[in-house]
Amino acid sequence: MREDDRDDLELHRRLSAGDRSAFDELYRRYARSSYGLALRITGQEVLAQDVVHDAFLALWRAPEAYDPARGPFRTFFLSLVHHRAVDTVRREERLRKRTERAANLEPVRDEDVAEAVVDESFLSGRRKEVREALLTLSPEQRQVLEMAYFGGMTQVAIAERLGIPLGTVKTRTLAALRKLRGVLGRED
Amino acid sequence: MEHEAIEELLAGYVLRALSGEDAREADRLLSEHVPACSRCREALGGFQEVAGELGLGAPPVSPPEVLLPRLHRELGEPSPRRRSSFLLASAASFVLIVGLAGLAVSQNLRANHLAQRASALADLANFSRQPDTSWVPVGPVTAVARPGVQNFYIEGHDVPDPAPGTVYHLWLVSGGQAKHIGWFRPEGGFVVLELALDPNLYDEIVITEQPEGVTGGVPQNVRWRAPV
Repeated sequence: MREDDRDDLELHRRLSAGDRSAFDELYRRYARSSYGLALRITGQEVLAQDVVHDAFLALWRAPEAYDPARGPFRTFFLSLVHHRAVDTVRREERLRKRTERAANLEPVRDEDVAEAVVDESFLSGRRKEVREALLTLSPEQRQVLEMAYFGGMTQVAIAERLGIPLGTVKTRTLAALRKLRGVLGRED
Repeated sequence: MEHEAIEELLAGYVLRALSGEDAREADRLLSEHVPACSRCREALGGFQEVAGELGLGAPPVSPPEVLLPRLHRELGEPSPRRRSSFLLASAASFVLIVGLAGLAVSQNLRANHLAQRASALADLANFSRQPDTSWVPVGPVTAVARPGVQNFYIEGHDVPDPAPGTVYHLWLVSGGQAKHIGWFRPEGGFVVLELALDPNLYDEIVITEQPEGVTGGVPQNVRWRAPV
């Protein structure tokens, strides 16, 4: 287990006991990643703020939802943000405009430039690994993965949008996840 | 179904990208096949971890400065009810269910279930009188919730008895992880539960039909489910 993961685990334990300073520390660690992810998916600052707000509030009110036996806190929490952002996108029914933006890999707005020296510097190494891992995918694999994950699209919608069979979308998605798993697992 | 096809569904599932028949088939596999298949459990765990890491692929952006103060205002004091529920959860998660009526949630609580039934019905009537109340059907029961309120109700009439040797188990799913809340058994088809949990903090309510001794793990034999 990485040292940062152990720190997260301890913070989660303290938060579960009602320690507000642990909540603030986890916010400091994950607010920017969470907001960046929510903004990428929803495409709207107001929606992204609500997603992050709800995710942190959920963590505070139901900390037991995280089971340390199932992996690092970071993957749980970012999955929580992702699910809520995707649900928000679908609820808002404004998918088309956002997915076009999400699929082109450009940031929705300027990325914070001080990433390496401020709040979540501990995540920057893993972020670099994830980005490099994404580059190992074929353009076709990366496209369907990003349309699903960052665009919040269903595989059926992706197949329709790209004009390819649903089975091809499934095959590319599985290949992409397997490859990422292998690459990120080796670097962990 | 071959494992390759199953893993395709699991990959779509962790990305929240399934719909229609694929989503239903994934639900079935997750409740019936995956728990008993080490290969699929291992694949699902690996995919879930990758999906979590993918969140780092988005550029980090500082949220508005008002967000943390807004959260601080809403945190409130740690709820004794929630905290005690959490502490009890690891030992006996069914204790999370309070104010039950007509239910065999625990032997200790069953003795005065008639009084609890009346109390829970009165509470439910008051609770559902508010205009912002939402009613979410979950099979034969209904989840009754209100935004921003840290408890909700499950109520139902004409709920069929579970199969012999089993009871109904209630689960709440958040971030792809299912949390076992407790078990219940209708009496004369009647169910009313008050739960000291905010359903808006979860993605999905799941009711399974499993032996009484189940207290965690992965939901199996799903009878009904509904998004929160």
